[in-house]
Amino acid sequence: MIDVNNLSKRYGRHTAVSDISFKVGKGKIIGFLGPNGAGKTTTMRAISGTIPRSGSVMYDGHDIVSQSAESIVRSGIAHVPQGRGTFSELTVEENLRIGAYVRKDSIESDIERWYKTFPRLEERKNQRAGSLSGGEQQMLAIARALMSRPRLLLCDEPSLGLAPLITQELFAVLKSLNQQDGLSVLLVEQNANLALKVASKVYLLETGQVVASGTAEAIAGDERIRKAYLGG
Amino acid sequence: MERLLQYVFDGLSFGAIYALLALGLVVVFRGTGHLNFAQGEMAMFCTFIIWQINEWGVPLVFAVLIGMLFGFLLGAGTEATVIRSVAKKSPGGVFVVSIALFLGLNSLASMIWDRSEGYTMKSLFPNKPEDFVRILGAEWRYKYIGVLIVALILMGLLFLLFSKTKFGLAMRSVASNPESARLVGVPSGLVLAASWGIAASMGALSGALVGGINGQITPSLMFSVFIYASAAATLGGLDSPGGAVIAGLLIGVGEQLAAGFAPGWIGQDLKLSVALISIFVVLLVKPSGLFGSLKVERV
Repeated sequence: MIDVNNLSKRYGRHTAVSDISFKVGKGKIIGFLGPNGAGKTTTMRAISGTIPRSGSVMYDGHDIVSQSAESIVRSGIAHVPQGRGTFSELTVEENLRIGAYVRKDSIESDIERWYKTFPRLEERKNQRAGSLSGGEQQMLAIARALMSRPRLLLCDEPSLGLAPLITQELFAVLKSLNQQDGLSVLLVEQNANLALKVASKVYLLETGQVVASGTAEAIAGDERIRKAYLGG
Repeated sequence: MERLLQYVFDGLSFGAIYALLALGLVVVFRGTGHLNFAQGEMAMFCTFIIWQINEWGVPLVFAVLIGMLFGFLLGAGTEATVIRSVAKKSPGGVFVVSIALFLGLNSLASMIWDRSEGYTMKSLFPNKPEDFVRILGAEWRYKYIGVLIVALILMGLLFLLFSKTKFGLAMRSVASNPESARLVGVPSGLVLAASWGIAASMGALSGALVGGINGQITPSLMFSVFIYASAAATLGGLDSPGGAVIAGLLIGVGEQLAAGFAPGWIGQDLKLSVALISIFVVLLVKPSGLFGSLKVERV
């Protein structure tokens, strides 16, 4: 589905991401693990086109590495940024509507669908997004991204700052979207146990490079990797 | 009572013009976080274009429409070229650029239309001495009523654009969070250029209305109007279109009352300071303006 080769991003003399290569297969959940500053978020932003980058990102047979963020979301990649990035001044429903900006067809059934998935959003549909709790905002951010009907979802630290119960709820939704709709997901997580549970393959990043990769089982079972990178 | 009503009528019409120009300031501020100091001069320049087209024999109504279109292109073009390239490098630079535009447009207009006594501008509305209705003893001139109606209609259209259309939603999303707007595929460059275009085109209309009321246009046509409009935008809260309209009307009425009821010691000369002092007081008490939003966000 997406085949990334030698993706790099430099800020002046500092290299945030250095020649990263990885694949996300169709209908797979891929996890990115690693400490702060490992280049996980930068990689996400490089794929969604919000920052200039070099290398190649093959998506459906085209290289999208030089495309703009607008045309990338149009081609079916949606990005839920770290810190959620909801439009605080717009209502919940307006947030969902703007999420479908690139679509020309009717979006009412999609709004209904995400209200059903996240009933709390429907209860608050006329409230400003800025007044929602952190968990509700994360739900809104994910629902808004899904409004564009993506085939690949980039999800940056969805569990950040959320209560464990809400996090579980969100991950259950992601899992079911993956299984029932065939949505591919690239998931950045600091919470390794959570990521290892849902992802089929995991890449371990450190200082802008992939230091290990493998199936979730293999990584979870590797005593040495667990000790060195995942906090036991 | 008659006099009070008279000042209120006149004040509402002037206020509506301030509100139009103030709305332009708010539209730009919401989109880019900058005050466009050239807003008034852009309006003045468009007014001269309207006068010129009218002078060439095109009926005034169409001349105004063409002038508004010209304003849209002027505003959008300015954003897409000078403003955008400067804003990327230094936000403070936008301030300098808009001051430069202010001076540049003013000199350019003085160069092209150089008659020092100015030019006679027709009004869009009947403007003979007998063209007024009498309400409770006060005269309400048709040209003032016309200005008020046109301004209110345009504001209504703008509110519909903001709240009911996909483009309006896109504009508000860029104002709220530019980075996320890009992530959902909103072409933010296009949206910002359009905001500047809309602002300048409202300026063109307000210029034509001022010119029509004064009957005379010179390159300094919009100086005091711009000051009142920026006062209205500040007073209403820079990010609130509704606030700009209400504050614009308030300032218009307040100006007429101050000048009319205390002619001896305020009069025409000091009314500008009265407006500014009252705004100063409001902002001391409520820094975000009457209707401006304090950013509230839960994390």
